[in-house]
Amino acid sequence: MIQLTRRSVLQRSLAVAAAGALARPYIANAAAKTATVWWTQGFVPEEDAAFKRIVDEYQKQSGNTIDYSLIPFAPLMQKIVSALTSGDVPDLVSHDINDQVVVPQNAWDDKVVEVSDVIDTQKDKYHPTVYLATQYYNNVTKKRGGYLIPFKTAVLPFHVWTPLVEKAGFKLSDAPKTWDAFWDFFKPMQPKLRETMRNVYAMGLQCTTTGPADGNNMFHHFLIANGGNGIVTKDGKPHLDDPQVKEAVIKSLTYITKAYKDGYVPSGALSWNDADDNNAFHSKLFVMDLDGTISTEVAIKDKEERAQVTTMSLPNKNDGTPMTAELGVGGAFIPKGAKSVDVAKEFMTYLIQPKVSNDFLKEGLGRWLPTMPSLVKDDPFWSADPQVKAYMTEGLLSDTVPNYPVFNPGYAEVNAQQIWGVAEADIIRNGVDPKTAAETALKKIETILAKYPIVQS
Amino acid sequence: MASVSVIEAGRVAPRRASVLRKLRGGLQGSEYAWAIAFCIPYIGVFIAFVVFPVFYGLWLGHQPSLYVELFNDPIYQQTVVNTILYLVIGVNVKMFLALLLSGFFMRRGWWVKGLLMIYVLPWAVPALPTFISIHWMLNTQWGLINNVLWDAFGIDGPGWLDTSRWLALGSVIVTYIWKNMPFWTVILLAGRMAIPQELYEAAEVDGATGIRRFVHVSLPLLANLYLVCTLLSTIFTLGDFNTAYFISGGGPALSTHVLATLGIRDAFEIARPQLGVAAVLSALPLMIPLVMLLMHKLRTSEVQL
Amino acid sequence: MTAVTAGEIAPRRHPNYKLRRRLGEALALALGLVLVVWTLAPIYNMVMVALESHNDVFSTNVWPADPSPYSFWIVFTEGYWYLEYFWHQYANSIYIGFWTVFLTLGIGSMVSYSIGRMRIRHGWLLTNAALLTYLVPASFLAIPFYRMMQAYGLGNNVWSIIAVEVTFATPYAIFIFQQYGRSIPFELDEAARIDGASPIQVYFRIYLPLMAPALVAVGTYALLLAWNEYLYQFLLLSNKRSMTVPVALAQFLNSDESPWNYMMATAIVYAVPPVVIYYLFRGRMTAGLTMGGVKG
Repeated sequence: MIQLTRRSVLQRSLAVAAAGALARPYIANAAAKTATVWWTQGFVPEEDAAFKRIVDEYQKQSGNTIDYSLIPFAPLMQKIVSALTSGDVPDLVSHDINDQVVVPQNAWDDKVVEVSDVIDTQKDKYHPTVYLATQYYNNVTKKRGGYLIPFKTAVLPFHVWTPLVEKAGFKLSDAPKTWDAFWDFFKPMQPKLRETMRNVYAMGLQCTTTGPADGNNMFHHFLIANGGNGIVTKDGKPHLDDPQVKEAVIKSLTYITKAYKDGYVPSGALSWNDADDNNAFHSKLFVMDLDGTISTEVAIKDKEERAQVTTMSLPNKNDGTPMTAELGVGGAFIPKGAKSVDVAKEFMTYLIQPKVSNDFLKEGLGRWLPTMPSLVKDDPFWSADPQVKAYMTEGLLSDTVPNYPVFNPGYAEVNAQQIWGVAEADIIRNGVDPKTAAETALKKIETILAKYPIVQS
Repeated sequence: MASVSVIEAGRVAPRRASVLRKLRGGLQGSEYAWAIAFCIPYIGVFIAFVVFPVFYGLWLGHQPSLYVELFNDPIYQQTVVNTILYLVIGVNVKMFLALLLSGFFMRRGWWVKGLLMIYVLPWAVPALPTFISIHWMLNTQWGLINNVLWDAFGIDGPGWLDTSRWLALGSVIVTYIWKNMPFWTVILLAGRMAIPQELYEAAEVDGATGIRRFVHVSLPLLANLYLVCTLLSTIFTLGDFNTAYFISGGGPALSTHVLATLGIRDAFEIARPQLGVAAVLSALPLMIPLVMLLMHKLRTSEVQL
Repeated sequence: MTAVTAGEIAPRRHPNYKLRRRLGEALALALGLVLVVWTLAPIYNMVMVALESHNDVFSTNVWPADPSPYSFWIVFTEGYWYLEYFWHQYANSIYIGFWTVFLTLGIGSMVSYSIGRMRIRHGWLLTNAALLTYLVPASFLAIPFYRMMQAYGLGNNVWSIIAVEVTFATPYAIFIFQQYGRSIPFELDEAARIDGASPIQVYFRIYLPLMAPALVAVGTYALLLAWNEYLYQFLLLSNKRSMTVPVALAQFLNSDESPWNYMMATAIVYAVPPVVIYYLFRGRMTAGLTMGGVKG
């Protein structure tokens, strides 16, 4: 017979009801010498290994502890949103698209700690575009401040399968030097290749409403190539009524949707997420695409196969002037409410030092670029491999502009709502004409940006 | 423990006491404390993990402006249509087929029993891998379905998930049926097996076989179970996230979202949690009557499940 | 024409009875075949991709070109960096599954006992409240749950998942136990009580053993619920050590390298326990779902 008293059952049942009181993974240490850090998991294992090494070195040097979690790209975004909504925040958050998605709106809402003291330690070394990308507008203090601590950058180069080009009887060196003509160059390759291959397309245009980044990035480059770079200016003011901008939008939408409708783009592109297009590239579903970083190349383990991909920087705009690339600036921020702000700041100050960050990025196989032109000029690593060299030239040695959400946080919502992707989908699937789609999109953007009036920049 | 006479005597007293208890409808003294003790764990779980999140969720989504914004958004409107189609077609087709198949599985034969074992696999195998597998089967360029179509018939299969909203939604619904039909078939089968054989035999003597027998014997007795199952299934399906998310991902171009996936998208991808919560709360006007109906049905009738 | 043998009353048969019967059997077989293909197609696809080499995954084959169990080897030896903590994550999934089942059965049966057998007053309130859990389905409560788990100190802890699963499985459990319990006569309880057994002894010695089939049925349901879960595991578990296999699987979807064959091999290994358990307990499960007695 089991000896059970009523009391013991009551006690036990209460214990069961409070199920959360059981095992915890670590003892919550409220001491100010530990910082909780959320870091993006790399797309290749070497990136993670590099990060771990940096953490170890910092911990040895400083005596502080960094309690980090390496979280994959998409889940991390969701966690960041949950954390910022609920108020339970870590001390330091790094995400690859912080500059586009997270920091703009949260700086606006004054939910981010001002970190100019950290940024300014390297101010003179940063590329001007990079420095620009650290300054966000705070609607509570009504001025811009430094909220993002940058340590890496990325741009969108072209990735081309040279064997496919040659198989179709063309030579990459013949490629035209202006934007639309460059894209058109690949179109005749498709019918030639289709003679022997069943499933192959000319280009991997990411006219998608999934994302989060590729569809918008791709469209913006078309926009800039058609002269629409003034859509949002440095002071945060939108210029949606500018006829030049409107013209650029219409031209971009027309080109993209026409390519899709003419069958030069795989049909699944409408729903690609940021990884699907890379996977399609690897499977040689299309000849070329425009995609951020050189992760497509880096992911190819076989050296010979990797060498078959040509990385190309951007041709000129359609009016013949040099192209301006969108520079993605990867960095970390400290949410307000963090408990160990000083440790977080110290860690980042350590990390953004030129030598430390350079080593960090090199170990990550050069998938991300440094933030300082001096590094790529002085260190031969960045010019050794032709793919890295093309990538680096476009990122740090040519004309660049930060992502628009840096200027105006409302644009982050524009990106998140995939307004351009929706416009493309409307044209492709619902038969809307580009002019109407452009007007609808611009109207939507206007409504969104109106919620973020920037008083002083 | 006690002598016979005490038992005899003792039996009378508790019997009277139990009669009294039933009359009074209440437990007494230590019994009552035990009954409460048995309930405490669940009450604790309920308060901690149901009451708080529900109220927090309601609070997150309480601003009317959110709903105005939602109703004006064409994507939301499409989503509502999708959800309704998903429920009406998905649940009913599934339950109906489950009903028919439950009759099929009553057949005699060893191969029927073996078939039943295989048939239940979709329920037993975890959702994520199978949904991802189906997602790839539907891939236009290298998915299994289009490969088979090409190899066997020489036709280029359509872009199942790429181009047409209806094909994609249809794929989601078919996957949903694939995954969930076995479970309900087994439930209905159990219900059928509980029908006494004599009734069937009596019907046969009266000349009713096949369809007639189904309509006049099985159907009336299964009706209540079927209704409860349909209600329960509708409630579960309204919150179903995995199927739509992994099969179509809401594509192409956000046209095949259902409320559950749209809510998550609004909350996390657009980073507007309040909007996401509002999107899913907008299903409450449908949800509440369903749950009330279910509760009513369960109380008033004895249903085998 | 039907033949009526002398002295026997045979049931009236339709003319061509034998033909009809054969046709019926043939149709049944055809239906069986359709069902097999329908059921197994996605699973076949999983196995096929798992056996293919990396490049063949994107090919247009219907049968695997060069099948090899290499992917499984990678999974078992954790040879790929996404699979670095595979066994640890697998153990997490098992741990969650076990506790979900145990707590669901324990808590659910205790409540059903109290409401159904001890007939606590206002017990129906609790049953209805339980059903209210389904009013706002699981996927809707993602953010509130996240907040809540942080508040309870369960952030990044597998117990948060267990709590979620138990919360969503218990109402169904209570419901099944109530229904099934009606087929157990009250006299048994009373006889035991008269013999001096305390409620808890009745619970352990009479109620639970008689409820065994229902316990198995609900236990299997709870296990599959936990094993099928993705959204909450993804949201509430952040790092590789606390993650579970479904979350690890979904990581593959965001990878640039697309080692789908490894992913499917992982998925198949993950799918084995629930399938095995289901087949082990199948007999008892159907008993748990079939109850003689009162019908609707």
